[in-house]
Amino acid sequence: MKDDSDPTKSPVTRRQFLRDGTRVAALTGLGGLIGLVAGRSSAQGTVWQIDPQKCVRCGNCATHCVLEQSAVKCVHGYAICGYCQLCTGYFEPEPNDLNTGAENCLCPTAAIKRTYVEDPYYEYTIDEQLCIGCAKCVEGCNRFGNGSLFLQVRHDRCVNCNECAISKVCAGDAFLRVPASRPYLLKTISH
Amino acid sequence: MNDENLSRRQFINQSFRSAGLCVLSGAAAAAPGVALHAAATSATSPFAYDVDRLSRIDPKLLVYEQIRKISGLGAEPRRIAIAPQNRLYVATGAGVDILDGEAGKVAEIPLSAPAQCVAVADDGTIYVGLRTHVEVFDAKGKSIAVWEAPTEKAWLTGLAVGANDLFAADSAGRVIYRYDRSGKMVGRIGEKNPDRNVPGLIVPSPYLDVKLGPDGLLRVNNTGRHCVEVFTANGDLELSWGKPGLAIESFCGCCNPVGLALLGDGRCITCEKGLPRVKVYSADHTLEAVVAGPEQFPDNGRPGQNSNRRDGTLGGLDAAVDSSGRIYILDLVAGDVRVMKRKS
Repeated sequence: MKDDSDPTKSPVTRRQFLRDGTRVAALTGLGGLIGLVAGRSSAQGTVWQIDPQKCVRCGNCATHCVLEQSAVKCVHGYAICGYCQLCTGYFEPEPNDLNTGAENCLCPTAAIKRTYVEDPYYEYTIDEQLCIGCAKCVEGCNRFGNGSLFLQVRHDRCVNCNECAISKVCAGDAFLRVPASRPYLLKTISH
Repeated sequence: MNDENLSRRQFINQSFRSAGLCVLSGAAAAAPGVALHAAATSATSPFAYDVDRLSRIDPKLLVYEQIRKISGLGAEPRRIAIAPQNRLYVATGAGVDILDGEAGKVAEIPLSAPAQCVAVADDGTIYVGLRTHVEVFDAKGKSIAVWEAPTEKAWLTGLAVGANDLFAADSAGRVIYRYDRSGKMVGRIGEKNPDRNVPGLIVPSPYLDVKLGPDGLLRVNNTGRHCVEVFTANGDLELSWGKPGLAIESFCGCCNPVGLALLGDGRCITCEKGLPRVKVYSADHTLEAVVAGPEQFPDNGRPGQNSNRRDGTLGGLDAAVDSSGRIYILDLVAGDVRVMKRKS
């Protein structure tokens, strides 16, 4: 029969102590890891985005992003586009001719591709590798057309700065934090 | 006071005060600097889209003057029409506003859905185009009938009425429907038909309009081709005129003109968006005068205006002419009517 009252005997063996210690350490580490992940996901719960209804197309997105090439890009709402032959987002205000000659094009980096669909419709596609987010095409499209071209922060590029450098100088106060689960503010129209 | 006599506590206190003042003054200096920087950047943007020089109209062409402005219209006004008694009818998001040229709004016809366009027959019958149908009212505003468009995808944006016909412009279908006065559809006008030499209507945005001239011919704005096309009531294309461009004699942007009105002698009034301009073309289709230019509609030409409207329009103008030749310009953004009279 075991004598528990013997003060000379330790209640916990070395093996038990090491086993319990390892468990506690593992649980502590796991808890810390869960806390860290939870904390980070909370911090990244929102991301920067541009409200296209507030954007005034000032050009600051192209010049004030901390990235060498801005994380703001022009995006195209095809459902709104008129597929115009004379696209005012593609052509200079007074083009010499309606062709793809550089002298006729509005985009300073030739980031808009014009593709013939059928007479007299053309499709316009943004090459995001070339787009610098200057909003020149957005201005042309909004002034004369349906406003299908608009700016958005692209989250495959944006580093989600705590204080966005563009938002500090945004002339239209159009930068806002949106849920990371719904990171884009796309333009829609009722027809 | 000699600095060497400072106690340690005094020295630390003074240091903290100095640092606090520095931080405070720095913040005060930086705050307006940011705002100024934003303004300066936007004003001197290397990416500016500049068409402001085209906003100025040659004063020699401006032969009309504004004599009145009528405000207080319903939300989201869209089209204006005039009745034989010179009563004005404005299609709005809430129904139809009936205006007197002198007294302003005198009555309204409320509707459950936004009115897109309106026309009034000689007998006072009022035709209101909603998105997919035409509602008919008698001269007192009592509902008489509802005429459905042939498709649920219709987007009616213009009406014209004659002695025997009603013509309804469908922007979505890119076609003009011809109804008889009993509501039976008897024809389709403007659809692409190479056999009849009709190139087809191009309508990038919902502004297709139709007007019936005293010569019995229809004027239709083919906005995507930047021209006005003239059709017979049977759908034969008689001619088209107009060309794209920002110059004053041309139609600007991607899709103009957005509205038409006819003077009794065959001259045509055109309305443009982007560069909001109302112009008069002579019977041989040369520019005769400018009724109003961009400087008179500062908000209308601002990009993005009205981008939350339910009818898909971003601005623009519409016009109607009364029997004395006065031109009534509906500003879709400002929501008012300018009464323009030719200068004596």
